[in-house]
Amino acid sequence: MSVQPLISAVESASSALELLRATAALARCADAAAAPTLVEVLGFNNPGAAVAAVDGLIAIGSPAVDHLLELDQRNYGARAWAVRALAGIGDVRGLDLLIEALLTDVGPSVRRAAAKGLGNLQLAALTVGERATVAQRCLDALIEAVSDGEWVVRYAVAVGLEGLARGCGWSQGHPGHGHICTALAQLGDPSGEEATVVRLRAALALQRLQPS
Amino acid sequence: MSLAPASCGGFFVAWPDDAEQHRCYEPSRKDRGIGQDRLTAMGPMAGEPINEQEALARLRQSDDPSMQYYGAWWLGRNRSRHPEAVPLLIAALQQRRPRDPGAGVEENAVARNAARALGKLAPAALMAVPELLAALGDPDDGLREAAARALGDLGATEAVAPICARLAGGPAVAGARQDGCARLVEPCEALLEALGDIGVAKPDVLTVIEPFTRHDWPLIRSAAARALLQLSGEPCWAEPLLALLGDSQLQVRRAALMDLGAAGWRPAVDAISTTLAENSLKLIALRGLVENGSGEPGDDALLAAMDALL
Repeated sequence: MSVQPLISAVESASSALELLRATAALARCADAAAAPTLVEVLGFNNPGAAVAAVDGLIAIGSPAVDHLLELDQRNYGARAWAVRALAGIGDVRGLDLLIEALLTDVGPSVRRAAAKGLGNLQLAALTVGERATVAQRCLDALIEAVSDGEWVVRYAVAVGLEGLARGCGWSQGHPGHGHICTALAQLGDPSGEEATVVRLRAALALQRLQPS
Repeated sequence: MSLAPASCGGFFVAWPDDAEQHRCYEPSRKDRGIGQDRLTAMGPMAGEPINEQEALARLRQSDDPSMQYYGAWWLGRNRSRHPEAVPLLIAALQQRRPRDPGAGVEENAVARNAARALGKLAPAALMAVPELLAALGDPDDGLREAAARALGDLGATEAVAPICARLAGGPAVAGARQDGCARLVEPCEALLEALGDIGVAKPDVLTVIEPFTRHDWPLIRSAAARALLQLSGEPCWAEPLLALLGDSQLQVRRAALMDLGAAGWRPAVDAISTTLAENSLKLIALRGLVENGSGEPGDDALLAAMDALL
């Protein structure tokens, strides 16, 4: 099926429900040509449609990234959805935006998505040198976010740290692996971490990264 | 807040996905974690960050109730352990002030916020139980609601009998609508939830709660089923909550999410994950299954479900 009619349906939607349905249909086709329209939907203040658009953009993957980065940064709502999409896509071009979101965004759900995204970047195609630089920046940001005030963000940081160790292929003995385990141990420590669920998740990550 | 069935939040009306972390106290814990990012930095009384000494000073003065309101909120939010915090909150709990519609201020706002803060300050706040029990008899149903929630948070078994007395008339009396407004005679939702949180599972307590599972309003049915599930552990009381996850109103689905989480009902994990609501609330509910529940599915499966919602 051609994408154009689906795009036209989004553009001509005259109610919130119609927009949601049209966006979901467009998102399902996962065609790169849909990306600009799906990015536009992120700015419409229709969270149901935005959820569908984020799913579609993640399915499109890398071809959607430039459109996401070109988004009007002053539209806070759209930017928050873009962070979620970039976190799901895992393209390193989203690195700066994800780090900024994790460390400065006022919305816990945005910081949460960014933390998970920093553990989900696709590093395989990079040169060894690039990979080291990107990984270090992810690591620094995630470690800084261990002290986030919201439990759900710290939970996502534990998930992100585990993902980063895997994505980098770091194993025991690598300095990065050591830093990640130290941060996870901090999140698993009852004297510093009040949320039981965060401690459990950190312990699970540690157990997976340091099989005894 | 109005306990009326939601007029907003239809099935396809979408949601912002975030917590209003700096907002002053939510009117209902059912709303906890719901809000819009952009409200984060502009709670009703929000200003520049303050410290504990400043919060105590604001509560201590009495010229400006809005400062007291914020001071009380701060002490609860930050789990203050300062020895003056509880005595000052008890004093603030005695304040009565009529509603000022022009200023958008709720009735007895300072006393209500003091009650809410006390609920967060266990164990020090256990000394406030007598004053909270007195507030449970106040003519202001909003203050009764705040006091009931605080007593539930504190696990105050002394509150079970007075709360049951308030509910004893059942849905047709305690659960009847007040004349001319969309509130019930008693703050049933808060009273029912407090009984579940306090955890005294005596047959006469269950008997008081049970009729509310047939109340007209889904939020009251949800609170009653939650309390019965918490107290009895009987799977039959999970059924109404699971059904409400599919309700056409977003507010009802949110309430059922929070209630399943509070009850730690682990078999609900998949139903929670697929509910049409914001992930922030589903994550709070799943945290509840991990921390309040036991048995199957186990921790690893629950954590995997949470990971998928980040």
